[in-house]
Amino acid sequence: MAFNDYDADATELLETYDFLMKYIIIGEAGTGKSCLLHQFTHNSFKDHSQHTIGVEFSSRTVKLGEKKIKLQLWDTAGQERFRSVTRSYYRGAAGAILVYDITNRQSFTNLGRWLADARALASPNLVVVLVGNKSDREDDREVEWAEASRWAAENDVHFLETSSLTGDNVEAPFLLCARSILLAIESGSLDPDKAGSGVSYGDRALRRVNSSSRLSFGSLSGRRRKGSSKLRLKDYVPGTANSKCC
Amino acid sequence: MSSPAPRPSTSPLASRRLVSGVSPSHSPSQARNPVSLRLYKVLGAGFEDEATKEALRTVSELYGASNAAGSKTTNVNGNAKPIAGSSEDSDELDSDEDERSDTDEDEKLSLGPYLSRQVVAPTGAAARARKNLRRDIDLKLASSSRKFLKALGEVDQKLDALQEHITSMRTQCDEAHEQLQTTNEACKSLLDQAGNLRQERDMIATQQTILNLFLSRFTLSSEEVTALTSRDVPPGKLFFTSMDKATKVREDCRVLMGVDGPTKAGLDIIAATFANLEQAYEKIFRYLVSEFQTIGRGNRDRERSVDPDANLEASPILKEAVRRLRSRPELLSEALGALSQTRQSTLLATFLDALTRGGPSGLPRPIELHAHDPLRYIGDMLAWVHQAIAAEREFMESLFGLGREGESSRRMIGSVRRFEKGKMGETEEWIGEVVDRNVGKLCGPLRVRVQQTVRSQERPILAFKIANLLHFYALTMRRTIGEDAALSQALGELSEMSYKVFFDAIEAQGRALLRDLDDSALSPPATVEEHMQTLREILSVYESSRLDDPSDTQPEEDGKAETSGGQSHFGVERILEIMINPALEVCLTAAEDKKRSRPTWDKSVFVLNCLTYLQGVLEPYPFASAEKERLDALVEERVNDLVNEHYLDILRDAGLDSAVAVLETKAPGDPLSRIEATQPNELSLALQKFSNWLSGLEVVHSPRLSRLTVQRLHSRIHQAALTRVANAYRKLCEEVRKPENKYEAASTLLGGQRPFGQIHLLNQIFGLGDEGE
Ligand SMILES: Nc1nc2c(ncn2[C@@H]2O[C@H](COP(=O)(O)OP(=O)(O)OP(=O)(O)O)[C@@H](O)[C@H]2O)c(=O)[nH]1
Ligand SMILES: [Mg+2]
Repeated sequence: MAFNDYDADATELLETYDFLMKYIIIGEAGTGKSCLLHQFTHNSFKDHSQHTIGVEFSSRTVKLGEKKIKLQLWDTAGQERFRSVTRSYYRGAAGAILVYDITNRQSFTNLGRWLADARALASPNLVVVLVGNKSDREDDREVEWAEASRWAAENDVHFLETSSLTGDNVEAPFLLCARSILLAIESGSLDPDKAGSGVSYGDRALRRVNSSSRLSFGSLSGRRRKGSSKLRLKDYVPGTANSKCC
Repeated sequence: MSSPAPRPSTSPLASRRLVSGVSPSHSPSQARNPVSLRLYKVLGAGFEDEATKEALRTVSELYGASNAAGSKTTNVNGNAKPIAGSSEDSDELDSDEDERSDTDEDEKLSLGPYLSRQVVAPTGAAARARKNLRRDIDLKLASSSRKFLKALGEVDQKLDALQEHITSMRTQCDEAHEQLQTTNEACKSLLDQAGNLRQERDMIATQQTILNLFLSRFTLSSEEVTALTSRDVPPGKLFFTSMDKATKVREDCRVLMGVDGPTKAGLDIIAATFANLEQAYEKIFRYLVSEFQTIGRGNRDRERSVDPDANLEASPILKEAVRRLRSRPELLSEALGALSQTRQSTLLATFLDALTRGGPSGLPRPIELHAHDPLRYIGDMLAWVHQAIAAEREFMESLFGLGREGESSRRMIGSVRRFEKGKMGETEEWIGEVVDRNVGKLCGPLRVRVQQTVRSQERPILAFKIANLLHFYALTMRRTIGEDAALSQALGELSEMSYKVFFDAIEAQGRALLRDLDDSALSPPATVEEHMQTLREILSVYESSRLDDPSDTQPEEDGKAETSGGQSHFGVERILEIMINPALEVCLTAAEDKKRSRPTWDKSVFVLNCLTYLQGVLEPYPFASAEKERLDALVEERVNDLVNEHYLDILRDAGLDSAVAVLETKAPGDPLSRIEATQPNELSLALQKFSNWLSGLEVVHSPRLSRLTVQRLHSRIHQAALTRVANAYRKLCEEVRKPENKYEAASTLLGGQRPFGQIHLLNQIFGLGDEGE
């Protein structure tokens, strides 16, 4: 009988988290949202991916510095006919992963509409990460990295390119988003206690609050540089020269 | 001193012996003389050895002490002290001296020179010594012996005393020994007893260790019992290990209940651990209930949140507790009941807040703020509920330890899940049941609001959209929490209700069509067009909201949807029926009445126009094909009618009507030329008129048919009518040429006017193929 099963210390890493964040994954149909998410949660490519019907849910806990963050991921259908359904899920999302297909210009030109929707319906502090997916199909590229990067800068969103086929850079958008949200919390511009922020404290953080009556973000500040350099390092790994963090 | 003796010895005795030793001049007979042998021996011995020196010294002392006056000689004597005064030596010497006292006198004397030389200054002492030595020694010996005797006498006395003591001691020892013997004898049994006792003690010690081992294996320590049963200590590590132990003990106890039937110890232990375990389960139960009541409240105590999923987390102890209690399903079920109750009220309160008050800071806005936009309003409510379900499921999954590693959690929530009882795991059943109960109470407020919104819908298209939305969520819920879940049921009912509202709305709209039909136009009435516009919208909504992916149509899925009475081909057929039928009615039945009041009104064209319009509406939708076929048949019928009408019209306009009528009605025996309408004159006139008509515009273009909206029908009907006209003309010609009809100049009659009785010419004029009929 393994006592670890209920040894709080031993299982804490697995079981508890500091923050719960709600993300929406949006973008035109066929851009690879479901595949991206599948890579992120299962570490494998989703074969024979069908159009998403409505909205699907999954979750994963990630570690950022010393913080454990549980991500609630709502994969939305990109097809127009589901727009009225999926928009209801924007409500109170803290992060949005906005996906286009680098081999499909149409999916890029429509971004404005998606972003406007997200900004209008989600949490006021919504952090958006623009993701150019299918970076493995360089030969069929229709949207240049520089152009997308410019668009991202103009619209004040993060940007990187991924491939949910090869798994290249797939974790980065989710971590980048979480990091931005944590920084917003630290700077005080986002309050997890406020409903609708899309973020709430997990049990781990709550216990800390209860014991010290004040949340300390010391560790986060200490790790900020480290965390970001780590992220960047990841973005510059050979073979993904196009996937940069901005 | 030139003595042959190498060693200067001053002892007279020694010197004497020495001299004799070194005087080989003695007679050879003397060589075997024991005395001389002895002397030789003595002389050979020398005076160097300690014993001799000591003897000499003793002798000298003997005299030195009595002659203190002659200091010089004393000194010399002292120096040359001869034999040590050991009594034995002396005795030996004595006996020697005695043996040869007379015979050796000469020898002694012969030694004189030597001795005299030795004693450099011969004194009286020396002489006296020589004279008295024997006596002195005897005296000395005697006195010594006396002293010795005396001393020995004392010793003897003492020894006697000692002897006495020893004797008494011996007796005592014997006594003691005897006593010891008896004591020993006595002790022996004691020792045996002790030995036995020791053995017994060892045995008992072993037994005790065994017993202790037994106890530690088969009973719980008081700490453990406390951990298990105390109400004050919450369950923790010790609690769970104690439980494990108690369970193990019960298992091991089966050994004690071995083949010879239950042992007392076994029964006792089983009873004790049973009681302990029961208390432990009770304790877990109480712990779970109280934890559930706290956790179930989410963070509502701390913070009014409108997030359905705020702070639901299962601690490791909680999970372990749930895991344990699974072996007491009744208790677990009751505890989960408590959880459900709390979750129900928490979710309900949170939902109502999300609906009416929004977040504490006003964000997100209350959902009811969008009540004016029914689709968004209902959509937001349902999305909230859906997210709440996802959160409940996640919580339950972690509570039941369906960890990351478990495949089930990898399945995305919302993707298809099979909910057949018995086919899913026991855990899944627990989870499904609890989630269902937790969110079940949301049905109430949801139902009220949805019903209110749906009932107030007058525009069918919106009602249809709402119905579709509800249907979509009904399906989603069914996949997520199962068909039997309260929410699935409620959504099913709601979607059915909204479909009913929608159908009612389109039926009402259809009935409204029939009211005013007061225009003489030949195009479909505006109301019908509006009505069809609605249908168009409905159909495109239907088309775009069909849930089955076009690339993934599964007939099985369709069948299912059909039986569930939701949106399906059955559904769309009903929509079409409800929508098209009133329109048809307007076009057919109502047109009849209209015709009655306006005889000149072209009903046929109007009806065809209406029908083809309806056809056009359905044209783009493959799923409407059945309905379209029904329309096609109607159109075909009407076209044929119109062809007939048009044919008759043409015959009349072209003047052939009476002649053709005669052909069809005359009795077989009557010659045609004898019938009034076909008398040669009349016929000639008719043919003349026909010829005129042939050169008119109407041959190629019918003003009546040009009022048909579909040009294709115009030419089709016209051609069909013309074909029949041509056929009629041909038949007329044939009849005229027949002798029994008794025309005198048949060919002249026919050849007088175009088309001169030539069918192919007529066909040419009509633009028809030569084949005719
Ligand atoms: N080459 C390549 N193909 C990809 C990649 N990601 C997705 N695809 C393919 O793109 C297609 C669409 O992927 P999905 O993930 O289903 O797209 P989606 O955005 O979820 O689509 P909707 O659910 O309809 O909104 C699938 O055929 C995938 O195999 C990628 O990174 N590289
Ligand atoms: Mg998808």
